[in-house]
Amino acid sequence: MNSLILLLILVFGGALFSYLLNKFLPILRDGFVVLLMLLVNYVFFTMDSSTQIDFEMGGIHLQWAFTSAAFLFGIIVSILGLLSIIYSTAYMKGKDRLGYFYMNFLFSIGSMLGILMSRDLISLFFFWEIMTWSSYFIVIYSGKDVDKRGLKYIVFSAIGAYSMLMAIVIIYGFTGSFLLTDIFDSIFAIKASYQLAIAILLMIGFGVKSALMPLHVWAPGAYSGSPMSFTALFSGALSKMGVFGFALVLFNLVSNQNWLVNEVIAWLAAITAVLATFYAVIQSDAKKLLAYSSIAQLGYIVIGLASGTYLGVMAGLFLAVLHAVFKGTLFMAVGAVERQAGTTDMTKVSGLIRKMPWTFTASLISIIALAGIPPLGGFVGKWMLYEALITSDHYYLVIMVFLSSTAAFLYSYRILFGLFLGQEEPEFAHVKEAPLPMLIPMLLLSGISVLSGTFPGFILEPIQDAMVVFGFDSRIPNIEWWQLTVLFNSWGDKVVLQNVMIAIMGVFLIALAFITIKGYRKQRYVTTKDISSSGEIIQPEDNMTFQIDFYKPFERAIWPLLKRRIDDYYTDLGNGLEALFDLVRRIYNGNGQFYAIYVMAFLALLLIAGTKYFGF
Amino acid sequence: MVISPVQYIAIPLMAAFLIPLFGKLNKDLARIIPGLVLLYLSYISVVLMNQIISSNTIIVEIIAGWRPPWGINLVFSPLTGFLASMFSMLGFVIWMYTYNFKPEVDNAQKQKFYVLFMMLITGATGIVLTGDIFNLFVFLEITAISAYSLTAFYRERDGAEAAFKYLLIGSFSSTLILLAILLLYTQVGTLNMAEIALKMPGVDPFMKGVILILFFVGFGIESELFPLNGWSPDVYTQAPGPIGAIFAGMVVKAGIYGLVRVVFTLFDVKEILPLLVIIGMITMAVAEVIALRQGKLKRMLAYSSIGQMGLVAVAFGIGTHDSVFAAIFLMFNHAIIKGMLFLSGTYLVYNSTEKTLDDVDGIGKHLPFTSFLFALGALAIVGMPPFAGFWSKLYLLMAAADVRLMTVIAIILVVSVIEIVYYFRVIHRIYFRERISTIELKIPSFNAKLAMFILAIIIVAVGVYPDLISGFIERATTDLLDKQSYIQSVLSVGLK
Amino acid sequence: MNTILFQLFGALATILLAFTVGMFYGGIRRKIIARIQNRVGPPIYQNFLDVIKLYSKETSIHHGAMQHMGPVFAITASITSLMFVPVLNGEGWFWFKNLNFSGDLIFLVYMMVFGSLGMALGAGQTGNPNSAIGVTRGLSQMVGYEIPFVMSMVALMAQFHTTSITGLMNIQVQENTWLMFSNPFAFIAAVLAMLGMFHYSPFDIVHAPAEVASGPVSEFGGKYLGLMMSSGSIFAFVKLTLFVNIFMGGAANLIELVIKTFALYLIPVLYGVTSPRYRTEQAITYFWKWPLFFGVIAILWASF
Repeated sequence: MNSLILLLILVFGGALFSYLLNKFLPILRDGFVVLLMLLVNYVFFTMDSSTQIDFEMGGIHLQWAFTSAAFLFGIIVSILGLLSIIYSTAYMKGKDRLGYFYMNFLFSIGSMLGILMSRDLISLFFFWEIMTWSSYFIVIYSGKDVDKRGLKYIVFSAIGAYSMLMAIVIIYGFTGSFLLTDIFDSIFAIKASYQLAIAILLMIGFGVKSALMPLHVWAPGAYSGSPMSFTALFSGALSKMGVFGFALVLFNLVSNQNWLVNEVIAWLAAITAVLATFYAVIQSDAKKLLAYSSIAQLGYIVIGLASGTYLGVMAGLFLAVLHAVFKGTLFMAVGAVERQAGTTDMTKVSGLIRKMPWTFTASLISIIALAGIPPLGGFVGKWMLYEALITSDHYYLVIMVFLSSTAAFLYSYRILFGLFLGQEEPEFAHVKEAPLPMLIPMLLLSGISVLSGTFPGFILEPIQDAMVVFGFDSRIPNIEWWQLTVLFNSWGDKVVLQNVMIAIMGVFLIALAFITIKGYRKQRYVTTKDISSSGEIIQPEDNMTFQIDFYKPFERAIWPLLKRRIDDYYTDLGNGLEALFDLVRRIYNGNGQFYAIYVMAFLALLLIAGTKYFGF
Repeated sequence: MVISPVQYIAIPLMAAFLIPLFGKLNKDLARIIPGLVLLYLSYISVVLMNQIISSNTIIVEIIAGWRPPWGINLVFSPLTGFLASMFSMLGFVIWMYTYNFKPEVDNAQKQKFYVLFMMLITGATGIVLTGDIFNLFVFLEITAISAYSLTAFYRERDGAEAAFKYLLIGSFSSTLILLAILLLYTQVGTLNMAEIALKMPGVDPFMKGVILILFFVGFGIESELFPLNGWSPDVYTQAPGPIGAIFAGMVVKAGIYGLVRVVFTLFDVKEILPLLVIIGMITMAVAEVIALRQGKLKRMLAYSSIGQMGLVAVAFGIGTHDSVFAAIFLMFNHAIIKGMLFLSGTYLVYNSTEKTLDDVDGIGKHLPFTSFLFALGALAIVGMPPFAGFWSKLYLLMAAADVRLMTVIAIILVVSVIEIVYYFRVIHRIYFRERISTIELKIPSFNAKLAMFILAIIIVAVGVYPDLISGFIERATTDLLDKQSYIQSVLSVGLK
Repeated sequence: MNTILFQLFGALATILLAFTVGMFYGGIRRKIIARIQNRVGPPIYQNFLDVIKLYSKETSIHHGAMQHMGPVFAITASITSLMFVPVLNGEGWFWFKNLNFSGDLIFLVYMMVFGSLGMALGAGQTGNPNSAIGVTRGLSQMVGYEIPFVMSMVALMAQFHTTSITGLMNIQVQENTWLMFSNPFAFIAAVLAMLGMFHYSPFDIVHAPAEVASGPVSEFGGKYLGLMMSSGSIFAFVKLTLFVNIFMGGAANLIELVIKTFALYLIPVLYGVTSPRYRTEQAITYFWKWPLFFGVIAILWASF
C-alpha cells in the first residue's frame, strides 16, 4: 500500500480506535496511543521521498506527495506528536473524557500530516479544517471560560479558513486547477488586482494560525487554556502550519510581484513580536506568559520568511523547528508544575527548583534557547535572522526584532524565577518531581536545543532541502550536515559555533570547578528564609516572596503602548454587531398580519420593478 | 407487481386512507404500515433510479391512458427521481424515528399523525414527479394542508397560532400559484409543463413577467425565501420534532423544486436569476444573523434552515451547470443534515417546555449518543470536512468563482462564520456547561437512535467520499438544465 | 599543538590585562567620586585589596545550585566576550591575540546578556526580595539602553557592510579615520547607551545600596562576590575596548588603548557623579527619547 495513505489511515483510524478503546478497555489506551505514534514515526521516517499519489474525488483532481518541505515540518509534527503523547499519558492521568481527548489529539496530528502532504489546495483546506475543529475540541476540553475562549478560537480560525477558501476558489476560477504545480505556473496570468486579493486572503488565512497581529487574539486563551500536553503540540506544531502555508505560497504565489505584501507582513510580524513580548512581560500566569511568548516567537519566524532572502527564510524555518523544540519543552514543564504544584500562577507558586530539579533543568535550557543566548540553538536562529535582515537592508526591522528579544529576557527570567526560584514557601513543600513519562520528553527536547547550538546542520540540512519546494535554489553542495557548524552571512562574516561552544564551556567549567572546589567542605545549604534582611529575623511563616507587580516599572514605561488592546476593539465590534443583529431580528415579530404584509409588499414591489427592470 | 412511478403517489395515498381501518384491527398495525409503504417506495426508488441511470432515459408515466399533453403524466427523470427517492428514504428514516416517539400520545392521535404523514409524503413526492402544472398545485395543496395540521398536532395554543400563520401565508401561496396557473392557461391553453415550455416563447412578455412573478412569490413562500418566510420559524418551533425534519427535508425542498422547475423549464427566463441570487443572499444573511440571536434551540435550527434555503436559492440563481449541481447537492445535504439536527435536537429538549438553549447545558454527559450526533450534524452543516456539508459549499463557491461573483463568495463565507458561531455555541453548552436544568431527560429509543445513526453514516460517508452521490446529482443537473430533452421525452410518449 | 598553547597563553594574558585595567579603573572612579564629594577616598588599588580579601574569606553558606552557578555565569560571559573582542589593532602584540578575532557584533551583544541573566538567576535563588527587585530593575533598564546601542551598531553595520568588529577596525585603519566621525550620530547614541550599560549613577537604581541593599548581589559574599567583582572589572574593560575598537579606530599598542579607554570611561563616571538617580521607568523613557532619536538618525545617515 502507498505509505502516505497508510500513514493517514494509521493516525485517523488509530484516533477512532483509541476512542473506542477508552470506552471498552481503558487500561490499554495509553499503551496503544504511544505505540501508534511510534508506528507513525516509523512509517514517516522510512517513507520514500518520491512517494506520491494522484486521484480524483468529487470531480476534483487531488494530489498528495511527500515533499522535502513535508518532511521538514513533518519532523516537528511526528516527533513532537510522539513526545507530547508520551507526556500526556502521565499528565492526563485521572482526567475524564480521555477517549475524546486522544481522539482529537490524534486527529490533529493526522490532519497536520495531511496538510503537509497536500499538493493541491482542496486537500490542504480539507485537512486544515479538520485540524481546526479537532484542535478546537481540545481547546475547550477543560471547560473553563469556554464561551469566550473557545468561541474566539473558532471564530478566528473560521475567518482565516474562509479567507483561505475564498482565495482558493478565486484561484480555481482563474486557473481551473487546484494543483499547486499548475497554480504556481499559471498564477501570473491572473489580473494583478486579483493577485493582490489572493495574496491578502491567503495571508489572512495563514496569519490566523500563525497568530499574526491583529489576528492573534485567539491565541493567548487557546494556548493557555488547553491541556499543556496539547499546547506543546499546539504552539509547537499546529501554529507552524500557518508558517508552512506562508512559506508555501509566499514565494511561489505572492512575493515575485507584490514585494509590498512581503514588507507589510514583515512589519505586522514585527509589531506582533514586540507587542506580544510586552504582554508576555506583564503576565503573572506562566501559561499566559508562554502563550504570548509563542505569539512573539511566531512573529520572528514570519519576519524571517517575509524577508525573502535565502538566509532569512532559512532563519525563519530554523526558528520554526527550534521553537517547536523549546516551546514544547516549556509548555510541558509548565504543565508539570501545574500538575505537581496545582497552579501556574507565578504570584502563588515559587521556589520549586529543589523539588523539581529536572523540570527546572529542562526549562532553563529551553529558556536559554528561547532568549537566543549562545551557545544554544536559539542563538543560531536569531543570528541568522539579524544578519539576514541587516544584509537585506531591513534596518528598522532589526531594531524591532531586537527590542522584542531584549524584552524577552524579562519574561524569560520571570518564568524561571516565578516558578522555580525565589522563596521556598511551606505551602509547596509537598511538591514532588514530575513522573518519568513527563520528564523524558522534556529532557529529550532540551537535548535537541543544546545540540542545535553547536551542530545546527542537522536541522539546516532538511531546511535547505525544503527550500527547494518553497521556490529557492538548491542547497549549498558538498557540505555534510555535521560540518555545518559555521554560520555565514552574505557579507562574508561568520560565526564559528564550535569556537563559541568551546570558549563558553571551557571558561564555564574552569570557573565552576574553581568556585566549587574552594571551601567545598565547609559550605552548607541554608533555606531561603535565612537571608540578609538588614537585621530583622525572618520567621518561616513570613512570606518574603516578591512576585506581584514584578515588572511594574517596565509596565509603567510601556504603558502608552498597552493602554488600548486589540481585544477591546474586537469586543466593541462584536457588541455592535450583536446589537445590529437584534435589530434585524425585529423583522420577525411573530405577527401573522405583518408577514402577510411582507408577502404583499414583496409581490407589489416585484410587479412594479419587474415590469420596469426586467423588461418583460 | 409492476414497478412504476405512479406507485409513489398511489400507495401512500391509499395507505393514508387505510390506516384508520387497519388501526381498528390492531393498534400497532397503523404504525407499521407507513414503514412498510416507505420501505417499498425506497425499494422502487432504487430500482427506478437504477433503470433510468443505466439506460439513460426518462420514465414518463401516463395516467388514465391520456397521453401528454392532454392527460396528467408523471415524469421520473434523474432530477425528479432523485428528489422522490430522497423523500422516500428520508421518510423511511423519519418513520423509524417516530415509531415510538411519544408513547404517551394516545392511539387515535398516532393514527392521525401517520395519516397526515402519508399525505405529506404523497404531496411532496407528487410535486416533484408530476408533469402537469395544475396537478402540481393540487399536490402542493395536499402537502400544505397536511403540513398545517401537523404543525398544530399537539393542540396547544402556540402550535395552533403557528399553524394559523402558516395557513394564512400558505393560502397566499396557493392563491398566487393558482392565479398564475390560470393566467398561464389563458396564454398557452395547456397545463402540461412540457407543452407550456414549448409554447412559452410565443407568450406576451408582459404577461410572462407577471405570471413568473406570481409563481416566484407563490413558490418563494413555500421555499422560505425572504421576506416571504414569516411563517416558518414558528412552524419549525411548534411542530413535533420529526416534522421539523420533514419540513426541512421535503416540504421546503418540494417548494424550491417547484420554483426551479418553473423558472428553468417552463419560462427559461434568465433575467429572473439575478433576483434569485439577491433574494437568496438576503434570505441567508438575515436568517443566519437572526439565528445567532436565538435563545431557543428549535428556533435556531429553523432560522438556520431558512438560511440554507437561501444558499440553495443563490446556487440555483447563479444558473450555471456547476452551480445547479451545487444547489442540488446542497438540497440533498440540507435534507439529511438538518434532518439529523432536528431529530437529535428534539431529544435534547424533549421534555422542556420552553426548549431554550439553557436546557441543553451539560447534556452531553447524560445523552452522549444524541449529543454526539448533534455535534456531528452541527459540524457538517457549517461545512467542516470531512462531512457532507463541506463539499456542497465548496462546489457552490467554485461555481460562483467561475462566474466571478466575488461578492457572493464573500457574503456566503461571512455568513458561514456566523453559522459557526451559533452552532459551536450550542456544542459548548452541550459539552462544557454544568447541567442546571432539572427537566427529566428522555433517552432515545433504539429505533430513534438507529434512524439518527443512519443519517450520520450518510453524512460521514458522503463527506469522505462524495462520489457516492455526485454521479446522481450530475445527472439530475443535466436533466434540469436540458429543457429540450425534457419536452421531447414527455411529448413523444405514446406517439409511436 | 604549539598554536593552541600559544593562543591559550594569549588568552590568559588578555584576561589578566583586562582584569588589571578594569580594577584600576574602578579604583580611579572611586577616587574621582570621593574628590568631587570632597572626601579623600580610598587608594586606587583598593579594589585589588577588596578582591583579595573576598577570595581569602571562607564562604560557609549557599542557597542552592543556581546561586552557586550565578557568578560562574557572569565570569563566563565576561571572559568569553573578551575572547571575541580584539584588544589591539591588526596583528597587535602577540600576547593579546584572541581566540577568534572576527568577533561578530550581534554575537557579542548576546554574549554580554548571558552574564546578566545568569547572575540574575543566581540572585533569584537566594530568595532575597531585594535581589529580585534589583534584577527586575536591571533587566527593565537593559531593554532601555540596548535599543539605542543596537541602533548605532546596526547603523555601523549598514554603513560599512560588515558585522564583525575586525571588519570595522580594518576599515578605520584603511581609511585612516575614526567611525565616531564617519557616523557621529551612531557614536552619540552609543555613548548615551553606554551610560546605562555601566549602571553608574544616574542609572544605578539596580543596586542602590541604601534602598535594596545592593540589589542582586545582596546575598553573595566571599568567593562569590570576589568572582563577581573580577567579572565586573573584566566586563568594564570589554565594553570600553569594544567602543574604542568600533568608534575610535582601535589601538595600536597598550598605551594608546589605555588612554582611549580611560577617556571614554570618564564619560559615564563624570556624568554619574553630577546626576541624581533615575527611577527605572524614567531611565527607560530617557533612553527611548534622545538616544533613540540619534539612533534613528544614525541609521538614516548610514543608509543614504
